[in-house]
Amino acid sequence: MSDREIDLQLVERVREGDKRAFGLLVEKYRRKVIRLLSRMVRDPDDLEDIAQETFIKAYRALPKFRGDAAFYTWLYRIAVNTAKNHLVARGKAMRTVSEYAVNDDDEPDERLVAQDINTPESELLSKQVAIAVNEAVDALPEELRQAITLREMEGMSYEEIAEYMSCPIGTVRSRIFRAREAIASKLLPILGTADNKRW
Amino acid sequence: MNATYSEDDTLSALLDGELSDQSARLAILRLTGDREQQVRFSEYCVIGDLLRGHRHDIPDLTGKVMAALELEPTVLAPVRKPATRRPLLWLAAAATAAITWGLWSTAPRQESGVPLASLQASFHAPSDVTPYLAAHQDYAQAVIAAQDMHFTRVSLSGEAQ
Repeated sequence: MSDREIDLQLVERVREGDKRAFGLLVEKYRRKVIRLLSRMVRDPDDLEDIAQETFIKAYRALPKFRGDAAFYTWLYRIAVNTAKNHLVARGKAMRTVSEYAVNDDDEPDERLVAQDINTPESELLSKQVAIAVNEAVDALPEELRQAITLREMEGMSYEEIAEYMSCPIGTVRSRIFRAREAIASKLLPILGTADNKRW
Repeated sequence: MNATYSEDDTLSALLDGELSDQSARLAILRLTGDREQQVRFSEYCVIGDLLRGHRHDIPDLTGKVMAALELEPTVLAPVRKPATRRPLLWLAAAATAAITWGLWSTAPRQESGVPLASLQASFHAPSDVTPYLAAHQDYAQAVIAAQDMHFTRVSLSGEAQ
C-alpha cells in the first residue's frame, strides 16, 4: 500500500470517529508544515498559531477531502491559505518566497529560510534531537546506515535499495527497521516520549 | 524499548509504504489502537524528518492540536443513503412517467399537423345527423388513436347506420 493510500486509510479512520488517527497524520506532517510556514512567517508565535490553526481547519474540513489529491497537497493548500488569512488579519507582511508550487515533493531550499523561527527553548530541543540523531546514525553499522540513508534521504524503495546493496528485499526491510530502532533508543531520553504525549 | 515490539518490523515497513494492502490495513488498525505503536510511529517520523533536514519544530504541537480538537465535534463522513431506497426512486420516476404519458395520450390534439378545425369544416354532414354530432362532438374531439379516428370517420360517413 502506497504512502498516499495509507494517509487515505488514516483519514477514513478519522471519519469513522477515531481522533487518534488524526494525531498520527499531525505527527507525520507537522515538521513539513512548520518548514513550509517558516518560509512565510517571521514571528514564532504567529508560526505556532498558524500551524495549530492549519491542522484544526484540516480536521474540520476532512469530510470534504475526497482523496483526489494527496493528503499533504491538500494540507499544503490549507496551510498557505491559513497563513495568508492570519497575516492579513493582523496587518503583517508575509515573507516573499516565490515558489508556492503545490506538489507532493515540496522540499524548500533551506537557504530561503532567512532567519530561524524557533524560540530559544525549541531551538535547544531541536538541536539536541538533531545531534542525537546524527550521532546515532554515525554509530550504526555500515549496512544499516546505508539502508536508512538510502530510504530516508534518497527516497528509494526497498526494491531499489535491495538492488543497490545486492541483498534480498527482506534484508533491506530488516536493516531499515533495526536502524530506526537503534536511533529511536537514543532519542528516547531526549523526547521523553511515552508518558508525556497528550494525544 | 519493548522487547516484543522491537522484533516487529511491520510498522517500519508500513511507514515506508512497503506492505501489501491487507497487511497495511491490519497494521493501521493496530497502530490506531495501540499507544506504544503511536509513540514509535512518532519517533520514526522524527528520525525521517531530521535525516531529510526538517529541523524546525514546535514542541508538542500534536498535543496542542489534539487538546484543541477535544472540544470539536467528532468528524464523521456523510452517511450514504442505503441502496434499498434507490428502487423506490425508480418506481416513483416510472409512475410519474406513466401518469404523464396517460395524460398526454388522452388530451385533445391534432393529427399529422392538419388543423382539426379545418377537417371539421371540410365535412358537410347531412342535416339529420347534425343534432347527433352536436351532442357527441366532445367525444369525437377526444379521440386521437388511429383506430378511434377510424370509428369517428365511419360515423360521420353514415356507413355504420
